[in-house]
Amino acid sequence: MIESTIETILFSIFGASDPAFVFFLLLLVTLGGILITLSVHLIPVGGAPAAMAQATGVGTGTTQLAAGSGLSGLLVAVAVSVETQNMFLGIILGGIGAAVMISLVMLMSNIGYIYGIGVPPASGKAVRDPITNDRQDIYVSKGTEGHGVPTASFISGIFGGFLGGAGGSLIYEALIRTTQVSSALFIVLAVILSIALFFINAVIASYNIGGTIEGFYDEKFKKLARSVVVSAAVTFICGALCLLTFINFGGFI
Amino acid sequence: MDPLFGMGILALIGAVAAIAGYTEDLESVVGSQSNPNSQVQLAPQMKYPHRLFNKAISGEPLSNAFNAAVGAVSAVVFASAFQLPVITAIVGGSVVATVLHLFLSATSFFGRIASQSRFKQPLYMDVFKRNLPVIGAYAFMTTACILIIAYLMQTYLGNPVPIPVMAFLLGIMVGSIGSSVGDIQYGAERQFQNLEFGAGVNAAYSGNIVRKAESGIRSGIDNSWFSAKFGGPTTGITFAGVLFITSWLTILFNPAWGSIVSWVGIVAGVLFILLTIIANRILEKSARRKFGPYREEEKTEIVE
Repeated sequence: MIESTIETILFSIFGASDPAFVFFLLLLVTLGGILITLSVHLIPVGGAPAAMAQATGVGTGTTQLAAGSGLSGLLVAVAVSVETQNMFLGIILGGIGAAVMISLVMLMSNIGYIYGIGVPPASGKAVRDPITNDRQDIYVSKGTEGHGVPTASFISGIFGGFLGGAGGSLIYEALIRTTQVSSALFIVLAVILSIALFFINAVIASYNIGGTIEGFYDEKFKKLARSVVVSAAVTFICGALCLLTFINFGGFI
Repeated sequence: MDPLFGMGILALIGAVAAIAGYTEDLESVVGSQSNPNSQVQLAPQMKYPHRLFNKAISGEPLSNAFNAAVGAVSAVVFASAFQLPVITAIVGGSVVATVLHLFLSATSFFGRIASQSRFKQPLYMDVFKRNLPVIGAYAFMTTACILIIAYLMQTYLGNPVPIPVMAFLLGIMVGSIGSSVGDIQYGAERQFQNLEFGAGVNAAYSGNIVRKAESGIRSGIDNSWFSAKFGGPTTGITFAGVLFITSWLTILFNPAWGSIVSWVGIVAGVLFILLTIIANRILEKSARRKFGPYREEEKTEIVE
């Protein structure tokens, strides 16, 4: 009963195209949005205080760093997707591209903290590093909440980068599947809409963590469930609008 | 495409990207954009009026993405509508983007300084006149380099993303790298040079930025001299490295040659990530060994 109602609604919205397929693509887009939200929760970001070595994490905004890594993954994913038409490969390589970007950024910013400012990486929220079991609190300088990217945050960030890149690529791959025609217009449309959905989800997650997080061991990570629900709802609605945009431009042919 | 040719183009892209990262960081340092701007903004409120150029148009990624996209659209229009050669079109597009960037810098500077008049922060016209051309020059270099990268990637490496969208993506990338890698040296070291080296900035010192230069009173240009020695180069190396390694995944291990090749590419990417984890761990251990803890271990109680 419910299924047939959904099918009728989808038919009325999406016209003649196969509603089950459209719904499947919409679910993929939603999954991509959830992955992006997860990624922002995992990437260690200290915001403006980290730029003054006052907080643990990379010294920039959550949205900005997540976008920087996710979009470099997207660039790889687009190249792979056009070369091979292999959805799975595009998503994995997109994730790897984003993880490469975030790992280099974290490594180089640690070099900046150690040689430019002279502080060892230390977490302000954990007494011991959950992975290496090193003492953290005695390496935190006075009046700060930690600085640099310790190993646990580093590994958390790499997983976050991978999920973000994979999520962005998944949205791109789902949107580009709406058409068999390989034209620059559809590629541009898919890239721009993926960027839009990326930013929407990154901002939602950013609000949830209040702008800074140290990684999976941070207390704020426990608030993840709330953000995932919001992100799923918003991405579902925005994803439907994105698919409608594609149909408007002549997708599903 | 011939992989050797692709590697040559990649090397060129890496070199141009290094310059783009370098100038991007210095541009943000001269105008004190990005996160350290919070201290420049706070200083007059803490009764420390200064002669720094204070502009925060937006976060660095979006500001650079805007410049790059405007420049790329203009360059494409110049090349297609007026049949200009590619290099002329790139220069023309970058000039358009730079002019827009200077408008935004000027309005941002006047707005920010004027809003602090109640804290007795003067509006120095000579600071404006001396720093603005430097900001324009760096912004021009960054935009031109990003347009060159976008052109090379699209024309020679066969990336299907059109140049304006690619420039937008590259602008976001260079901005987020410059903001996270290069600016920490400016924010935590240069702005607080009077504090002892080897510690994070105590929150109690917020807004108490150094206002004297090596000679005279400090302005944005003095800061770019300092950042050119560390913050700028690290940003350039990172941006070049990111473009180089991520492009490897599709050039050296081209997925069109078969799925086995692309799996090798995935393994290579994972190996590179593992290498960075190991390098980071070695770096962390050596820093802890050399610098030592700030407090004695025995005297500190563990509060779980």
